[in-house]
Amino acid sequence: MMFQEGSIQLVCLTASSGVPLFTRGASRQLPFSIIGSLNGVHMFGSGQGVTLSSCETEGGGRVVWRVFQDSVMLIAVNASQQAGQGVESSGQGVESSKGERLHLQRLLENVWNCMVMVLGQDELVNAKNLERLKRDLRSCFSLVDELLEERRPGILGHLTHCADCLLPPQPVPLQEAVQSFAKAADSEFGCLLIHGRVAAATEMWWRLAPQEIVLLSAVMRALSDSGAASCDYPVFLPQGSPTVAHRLLRFQLLPGADVCVLCGPTPSLHGAESTLVGRFWSPLVDNLRDCLAIGERCLPSSVTLRPDVLALLLINRENHRSVSCMPAPSCAYPQRDPPSPSEARCWELLKRFYIFCMTRYFKQEEAEGTTEEEGGTHQGNTEDFVNGFSHQPLKCYVITDECKSFALQTPQHQLFLLTPLTAPTFALNTIAAQTLSSIIAATGF
Amino acid sequence: MTQALKHGSIIVADWHRCKDSKEYFSKILHKKKRKIFGLLESPVMPPHVPVDTVHYKVFLSGKSGVGKSALAAHLAGLKVPSTHYETTGIETTVVYWPAKLKESGRVLFFRFQLWDCGENALRRFDHLLPSCKEKVDAVLFLFSFTDRTSFDDLANQITKWNESSGSPVVTMVVGTKFDLFMHCDLSEKDVRGFQETWQLPVFRMGCGEDDDRLDVTAPLFNSLAESLWLQDCIIAGQQV
Repeated sequence: MMFQEGSIQLVCLTASSGVPLFTRGASRQLPFSIIGSLNGVHMFGSGQGVTLSSCETEGGGRVVWRVFQDSVMLIAVNASQQAGQGVESSGQGVESSKGERLHLQRLLENVWNCMVMVLGQDELVNAKNLERLKRDLRSCFSLVDELLEERRPGILGHLTHCADCLLPPQPVPLQEAVQSFAKAADSEFGCLLIHGRVAAATEMWWRLAPQEIVLLSAVMRALSDSGAASCDYPVFLPQGSPTVAHRLLRFQLLPGADVCVLCGPTPSLHGAESTLVGRFWSPLVDNLRDCLAIGERCLPSSVTLRPDVLALLLINRENHRSVSCMPAPSCAYPQRDPPSPSEARCWELLKRFYIFCMTRYFKQEEAEGTTEEEGGTHQGNTEDFVNGFSHQPLKCYVITDECKSFALQTPQHQLFLLTPLTAPTFALNTIAAQTLSSIIAATGF
Repeated sequence: MTQALKHGSIIVADWHRCKDSKEYFSKILHKKKRKIFGLLESPVMPPHVPVDTVHYKVFLSGKSGVGKSALAAHLAGLKVPSTHYETTGIETTVVYWPAKLKESGRVLFFRFQLWDCGENALRRFDHLLPSCKEKVDAVLFLFSFTDRTSFDDLANQITKWNESSGSPVVTMVVGTKFDLFMHCDLSEKDVRGFQETWQLPVFRMGCGEDDDRLDVTAPLFNSLAESLWLQDCIIAGQQV
């Protein structure tokens, strides 16, 4: 399986000397000699003017390297996978392996960003005392493990680099509250998360780099899961402010509903909590509860989905936002023959289908501000196909023994959709088109 | 003197076991577990039973890894994380505790907000400690029964706190990981000695999952409530 739990191992070393800084993931650690060899082979390459970025082992494992800021090397190792399953089995081994590479490359980027977010770039790049750096890096483990374990299957932002959103039934009052709350906290950056997904945010929040939004959402999710009532976390912004820390103030309004602001030295956590939270949010308790009630569906009830939609991922390509949706399974389609895949499996299949489309047919836009240091690694995923044609594929579908998958893209959107096997293949196009237009019409997403 | 307070003199001890407390405790429990309240929520009593809620800020102080976050989670009835992760900023946890005043029979909801901040974060960022100390009402000094150095460091910690803080606050000591007696690094005698020297109450806490949390946490909550209430009364210049 491609995303076998705990099969990914992450190794972090100093780029210049190859001193191991930490390893995370996988229950069985790689022996030191192997870590040494992995570093050695990369070093040998750079001695010859070659950047080694990825390789596949005979057993189907995959290793991806990347050096960040000439200072830290991250290596991700995925243990051998079982031969093709699901979407991968319909393609060739090459497909699965390419998808794997994309997945691991995004992971390394996310891990680096998370290290910068917690410790700041200076500490990572100009580390004078390695023992101290090792100790300080422990502060990142909670977030790194969160990235490795992918605890919430419906959250796809770390893969898509688009903010996972929830579209509230009544967005306007929430939007206004976030704005005035942030303003009162001397901040332009405010965001409301429901079930770990962005439900409303200030305009400046959306101007943060998409990866930053994704990572900040991950930080908030971790804090929300821990049950803390409020937090004051120093955070660096990997792109916007890698060397100066901001304060992330987060408040749990209701369990599952969190609001945060990014601010400077004022206000204090105590002050903001006692004077601002109640003032701006008490009037909206019912509205917040309505948002919480839509749960994993992430779409308001004004959007009627066809009963033959198992799961969907909708991406707005212009503003890097996404909605992933799993309509309530029990009531929508009771008994099917053959039975539809479980909820967890649906997320898994959706994720694979996304990777499949992105590595093979659809062009990936990298978000602004992404530092593509080892130029062209991402484009490399699609070039074989796309470069051979003068046009862009608009639609794509795959049928496996578990479900049918259909994707379409317009200049503004990308939609990835799963239907049960009972949906007629000729209708997939219509189902997708209708789903897209009904969501856009009802929510303006 | 708050320190010389005899346990049970102001607040009814073991009130959570009494019948008349049931109505109140049912507001903070859900299926025998603690209810989690967001900042916009609080325990709601029926209109004919007016209950005041008193807010207190409690700072948890202790070496890295001593179990500050785990204690906060344990006290609040949250899931205690199985792996230790450093807290990289301030995290606060809110926990409600109903208590009955002995003399007047009046019931109050005590709302303790536990402030927890990782030691490394405190070292790296100067603004965090002042924020933790702002308007603080009580401080719990933590040591771990499995780590002698954390116990030996207590005196140092308390002295440092007293030197840098203006107004006196309620002070208590909590020994964590008491359930891991196999790895215990301290003797009863050590703890008793400390208690006598410093005249501070020492509470022993574990984070075991199956403990009846109300029974386990009641002594700490009642004692904290008592000391804080007394401190307030002294400040207000009232007779207790």
